Amino acid sequence: MGVINRINEIGVCGAMTSIEEALEVQGISKRYGDVQAVGDLSFTVRAGEIFGLLGPNGAGKTTTIRMILDIIKPNGGQVSVLGGPMTEDKKSRIGYLPEERGLYEDMSVLDTLLFLGQLKGLSRQTARARAETYLREVELWDARDLKIKAMSRGMNQKAQFVAGTMHEPDLIIIDEPFSGLDPVNTRLIKRLLYRMRDRGAAIIMSTHQMHQVEEMCGRILLIDHGQRVLYGPLDEIRKRFARNAIEVDLDGELDRVPGVKRLTPRNGGYRMLLEEGAQPEALLKTLVNMPRVKVERFERVKTSLDEIFVQVVEQEGEREPVDAGQEATA
Amino acid sequence: MNKTWLVAKTTYKRRIRSGTFLVLTFGLPLLMVIAGAIPFIRNAGDGLPPIGYVDRTGRLAPVEQVALESGTLSLKAYPDVDAARTGVEQGQIAGYLLVPEGYFAGEVPVFHAEEEPNEKLQEGLAAFLRRAMLPEADAVHLERLTDPTDLTYVASATGDRVTEGAGLVVRFATPAVLALVFMLTVLTGASQMGSAVVREKDQRAMEMVITSLSPLELVSGKILGMTLLSLTQVGIWVLGAGIAVGLALSGRAGDQAVALPWSALIWAVLLGVPGYFLYAALASGLGVIAGDHQQARQLAGVLGMLGMTPVYMMGPLVGAIDSPLAVGLTLFPLSAPMIALFRMALTDVPLWQLATSLGILIISLIGSVWFVARIFRAAMLMVGQSLNPRQILRALREA
Repeated sequence: MGVINRINEIGVCGAMTSIEEALEVQGISKRYGDVQAVGDLSFTVRAGEIFGLLGPNGAGKTTTIRMILDIIKPNGGQVSVLGGPMTEDKKSRIGYLPEERGLYEDMSVLDTLLFLGQLKGLSRQTARARAETYLREVELWDARDLKIKAMSRGMNQKAQFVAGTMHEPDLIIIDEPFSGLDPVNTRLIKRLLYRMRDRGAAIIMSTHQMHQVEEMCGRILLIDHGQRVLYGPLDEIRKRFARNAIEVDLDGELDRVPGVKRLTPRNGGYRMLLEEGAQPEALLKTLVNMPRVKVERFERVKTSLDEIFVQVVEQEGEREPVDAGQEATA
Repeated sequence: MNKTWLVAKTTYKRRIRSGTFLVLTFGLPLLMVIAGAIPFIRNAGDGLPPIGYVDRTGRLAPVEQVALESGTLSLKAYPDVDAARTGVEQGQIAGYLLVPEGYFAGEVPVFHAEEEPNEKLQEGLAAFLRRAMLPEADAVHLERLTDPTDLTYVASATGDRVTEGAGLVVRFATPAVLALVFMLTVLTGASQMGSAVVREKDQRAMEMVITSLSPLELVSGKILGMTLLSLTQVGIWVLGAGIAVGLALSGRAGDQAVALPWSALIWAVLLGVPGYFLYAALASGLGVIAGDHQQARQLAGVLGMLGMTPVYMMGPLVGAIDSPLAVGLTLFPLSAPMIALFRMALTDVPLWQLATSLGILIISLIGSVWFVARIFRAAMLMVGQSLNPRQILRALREA
């Protein structure tokens, strides 16, 4: 979790008020004709956290984001952004990288950033200084005079990221930030995101790259068919979905181990599925005490977010929404 | 307002550098200048070849030479057509003028030559006939015959005196020319406006931009930027045309002071600018509704036809310039600028009509921008799709 988890908001009278929730969504819904795109969806995003907004294609993620940003109006519910309803002034404190990428193709990178930076309330001088800083950071400074249409997909992606975040917003919403990026550029963008989070920004990251979510997000919301199906701290969700399984690398042969229901050989060791009530600590002790067996690695198998995603989405409709810990009631 | 102005400025700068704009702005006038210069080039040069004539009236005085504004025309009399034809064949003359026996009864003379006589030669032949008919007249009287009236027009309402020639042309032609300039601006601007909005949707930058400003600011900025662009384009054309007309009139106005009809100019600005903005707002609205460039062009064509309606109405209005129809079209916002200026060229349009027209125009403009801004939010995310009436109504309700 970031070192700064509170941000300051300047009230209309200039008074400083502190808020912890950068975004509070309460029971929003959106219907297009007969299709319920989003239904009664609630969640919060805190300042100084990276929040994963997940869901299969067509789940309602983009509709949710657009409602948060006031691009489309919800049919019901409320959205509180940075301490209250969305206003034109607050738009300067929000950064957005939409899924549908696009910049003005006939403009140069620098001109584009100057334009978008000024739209976000920066002065021309500040916009230029920020553009230079960020373009150098993402290694695009030398391409600043290149037209957008002349840039590669990766360059375009980085330019768009800078355009959406160079005004250093308090709330950042990014949709698939790493698509089209190689590992080096992915690392660059990640570094910038971590820095923004540490500065106190709330970041909502929507992606299908589950390993990135596992690495970066503290909390997640999984929606399907516009409904919340999983919500809360990632660690708790993973614990809840953790199978009682152990992976062991060892020197020696095993035939039968007390407390292990199923023993599956794998390269250099075994995967063990424990019996109901069996404890991993007891198993480790048993293995260590076995003759002619030398344990080299002992690890409780974590269920990947990818597996959780697939499992939840496949079971969705047959079960109640799953909330983790206190977060579920937030 | 700052964001609106920023959008306008950026739109203007983006478009003014485009190849299409440069070609259209400078290429078109250049083409017109070249086309217009061809007759002058053909007339260029002081020398006119000798011309023969056959006088079948027997009443023309012999003339060997006439002086023109620049150069002279040499003439040679022939007793009959065969002799004149021989003269042509032998290269003595370039052609001959046959003055028929019934010339003084209204029969027209016939010019025989390989090439059609240019303006200068026609002027020379006319001068020859004047001299041949009135051999005793002095040069001043003959010159007077070329321009027997020197009309001075006094406006009954204002008492303004406008003398014939350039001044009179300027007095009557200015409102009409301004009306045509307005129409030209609308026709070029409207189609560009619709395409610009579709291009904006295609480039998918809208979703990012709209999180920085309101639809009203974005739409207003786009309309303002595109309008400034069109005004720049037409300004260049008008300036070029003005210089060309000024050059053409130079020396012909004599000592007359060419008084500009300031009233028409002021109302051209007062009605023309919001009138253009109104068309631009409607064109951008059609661009918002259109799904692609082709549809945007088709819809812009419909708007262009609507913009041309006042031109079709001008004929019937000439004979009924103060009729209820004329007044109605002066008040109707889409025809107001053109019809008002057209009427000003022919009559004194009451001030109340112009002021009411301006008021209706401004209210219509505000309403149009408001309408476009409201449907814009719904349409900007629909790349490649057009808005149907039901979606437009929903957008108006939800925005």
